[in-house]
Amino acid sequence: MRRASALAFIVMVVAAPWLVAAAVPRQQRYVLHVLIFTVLFAALALSYDLVVGHVGSLSLAHPAFFGVGAYAAAILATRARWPFLADLLAAVLAAAVVAALVGVPLFRLTEHAFAVGTLGLALVASIVANNWVEVTRGPLCITGIPKPVLGLPGGPTLAVTTLPGYYWLALAALAAVVLLYRRLTTFRLGRAFHAVRDNEPLAGAAGIDPLKYRLLAFTIGAALAGGVGALYVHYLSVMCPEEMTVALTVNLLVIVFLGGVGSLRGVLVGAVLFTALPEVLRLAPTWRLVIYGGLLLLVVVRSPEGIESLLRRASGARAGR
Amino acid sequence: MALLEVRGLVKRFLGVTAVDQVDLAVEPGELVSLIGPNGSGKTTLFNCVTGYLAADHGRVLFRGRDLTHVAPHRVARLGVARTFQQVSVFPRLSALENLLVFLQQHQEEHTLARLIRTPRLRRLEVEAVERARRLLDLVGLTDKADAAAGSLSYGQRKLLAFAAALMPDPDLLLLDEPAAAVNPTMINQMKSHILALHRQGKTVLLVEHNMEVVMDISQRVVVLDHGQKIAEGSPDAIRRDARVIEAYFGR
Amino acid sequence: MLHGLTLGSMYAMVAAGLALMLGVARLINFAHGEFFMLGAYAFWLGYSELGLPYPVAALLAPAVMVLFGIAYQRTVIRAILPRSWHVQLIATLATSIVLTNLAIIVLGTQPKEVPTALSSRILDVGGFRMAWQRLLVLLAALVIFWGLHRFVARTRTGRAMRAMSQNREACAVVGVDVQRVTMVTFALSAALAALAAALVSPLFNIFPDMGTVLTLKAFAAVVAGGFGYVNGAIAASFLIGLTEALAGSYVSYAYKDAIAFLMMIAVLLWRPQGLFGRRTGI
Ligand SMILES: Nc1ncnc2c1ncn2[C@@H]1O[C@H](COP(=O)(O)OP(=O)(O)OP(=O)(O)O)[C@@H](O)[C@H]1O
Ligand SMILES: [Mg+2]
Repeated sequence: MRRASALAFIVMVVAAPWLVAAAVPRQQRYVLHVLIFTVLFAALALSYDLVVGHVGSLSLAHPAFFGVGAYAAAILATRARWPFLADLLAAVLAAAVVAALVGVPLFRLTEHAFAVGTLGLALVASIVANNWVEVTRGPLCITGIPKPVLGLPGGPTLAVTTLPGYYWLALAALAAVVLLYRRLTTFRLGRAFHAVRDNEPLAGAAGIDPLKYRLLAFTIGAALAGGVGALYVHYLSVMCPEEMTVALTVNLLVIVFLGGVGSLRGVLVGAVLFTALPEVLRLAPTWRLVIYGGLLLLVVVRSPEGIESLLRRASGARAGR
Repeated sequence: MALLEVRGLVKRFLGVTAVDQVDLAVEPGELVSLIGPNGSGKTTLFNCVTGYLAADHGRVLFRGRDLTHVAPHRVARLGVARTFQQVSVFPRLSALENLLVFLQQHQEEHTLARLIRTPRLRRLEVEAVERARRLLDLVGLTDKADAAAGSLSYGQRKLLAFAAALMPDPDLLLLDEPAAAVNPTMINQMKSHILALHRQGKTVLLVEHNMEVVMDISQRVVVLDHGQKIAEGSPDAIRRDARVIEAYFGR
Repeated sequence: MLHGLTLGSMYAMVAAGLALMLGVARLINFAHGEFFMLGAYAFWLGYSELGLPYPVAALLAPAVMVLFGIAYQRTVIRAILPRSWHVQLIATLATSIVLTNLAIIVLGTQPKEVPTALSSRILDVGGFRMAWQRLLVLLAALVIFWGLHRFVARTRTGRAMRAMSQNREACAVVGVDVQRVTMVTFALSAALAALAAALVSPLFNIFPDMGTVLTLKAFAAVVAGGFGYVNGAIAASFLIGLTEALAGSYVSYAYKDAIAFLMMIAVLLWRPQGLFGRRTGI
């Protein structure tokens, strides 16, 4: 029964472009645009949750990795004319390398200092994006990023030019992220992550190297964020420094913490709620941030259990599986 | 050769010398107790041996290998297991998962292999689950296997932490007050668990305040006071030692 | 050099408040830069819009912000103090975002200038030229830090703050009114940020999202100064201000902000206990 409904849900998600065309033919383009954003944000939020939800490191540096991937792809695609799959791979690797390099010193910091250090890193990244004009063109943005063309050199190619095509591409990426997320957060690897998150000294006594697992989650999370960044700029065809501000962190925090930290379903629901809804309500970005901030505050301050109960609920779901 | 050898160990905290020139040797298969009044440096000594604290002077040798600047997880993988005085579990993992965590790191495995879940790992996992269930049976937590460790009672968590330390079949077991703050039945249970380990040939270093337990089961007792070793010998000799009596009842 | 001292004074006033909160309440207030931002707008409102004389407007800002600090402590802080640091961080970050974006909605993104008589009048001492306002900033900062020091060292409340920063639990036991002391700490920190804003606003532009970067720099100072040790934070602030001014004129103007953070990260790694050694208490 549950299998059947899950299958029906997947079929619906995959068939969404046709459903949208049938249901709201006039708004088809707009609705698909919102769906694409939702799917990309879901993938980004999952990559963030690997770090925040599963090894318990409250990193605020995620926009930096998203930005590294986005700029790597944008620059390689426009200046060096790299094919899509190559620049996607380069984006993933670039973000991973940056994360591994900064992760080693950052993870020597304790809780507060780690949060402050990662926020500092995000700010440095956005300062560089704004000022390293020779490479990023600064506030002028990198424009004219081509639509993705799938295929390997020599073989047949497939240009993704339509909105439904792009939607399926994003969906395929999300599916890959979901698969990887599940592989990482269950079985032996997942247990090691959770052990480090729950009780670091005890994890040491169990023979687990906490730094290794923190760094692993951080690097993989960053790599995936870089990949999403590449997909994002190929969709929008421009990349500007404003895409990597603290506002992005707040978006991700809202999705992850109000959706359900450390839980696949929670994060996906959060992504739908907090990406699609404000788009549909046509909220101005500033108002959206005010409301998000207010919501976060309200949950934390008002609800007697707040985020911690969400944490527990998420772990309860895990234990029950 | 002694399994564990501590030579001239010194550890200071902001003016307090918590461990002061301590020498200690534990032979393979021995059951040794480390006792002393509160704050005499027993836990600090454990922390220095297992890599949680860096000693200021002196050396720690395990099978002749220097452990002085080795990280906790490496010490653990060399076959030294420990429990914590403040009972310590992974609260959001189930009791069974708590035990599984303790085994997997000792079975050589590559991150990539874990991602792919190779047949070898699946087999190891099945064996690990079997072993974990046996240990849960041993400490009487069979029906709690799927409960989150954080939801267990204090005594149950203590038993769980004890079982977890046994999971990798360690060569040396350091137990920090396993019988403290639990009811008399559980104290007896703990005592028989430790004795059983001893009979299986395991080497145990035990920190304990409960003198009945210490005197009943130890082969040898080492006494610390203010970080210094003030006495060492058989339980009977320690019971009559003037300095020990002074340390406990004097002042 | 002089510019560096001005920046240093401003950072120091903000960082001192941050260090007080961290020391007394064990809390990192990510919304602290927004206290400065709100203080600056309060000053702008009083001076440019209401036409109040400079000293009155400059005192209005801290007065408003004291009330704001108390309100913040009563609503948000009181609820999150007993919680985990994750929750505290998210709550204060959320506050910062709400305040910044509300300011954008109400006041627009256009920077505001508040030139005063002193900011354009130049003092010339033997060829060494400086705006009177900068002199005022430096002198006022000295007086303020002296006053702060006296307050913490001499008054009952100040001593309670110091005691709390050393041992919170014991304070509650011996009957210190922990809630009240926390409230005074927040009011004082808000007032310091607002005073800084009123002093430097005639020299720099005011805009809604200036808070985040300032929070970060003040943090850099707090961290380098030894996590909650106020005098350390003040000293480190001047160091950051000077480095930034020098880097701005000799290395790269665009990257001067980045340099402060890189310095902070370097200090964190090299001396996690801060530049001035480990201390307990404020
Ligand atoms: N991390 C630390 N920082 C500062 N002082 C410490 C630290 N850990 C222990 N101490 C001090 O070192 C001394 C020895 O403490 P330790 O915990 O080793 O004693 P113990 O013998 O285990 O006592 P108990 O029987 O109460 O468990 C005490 O004076 C204690 O206050
Ligand atoms: Mg102890």
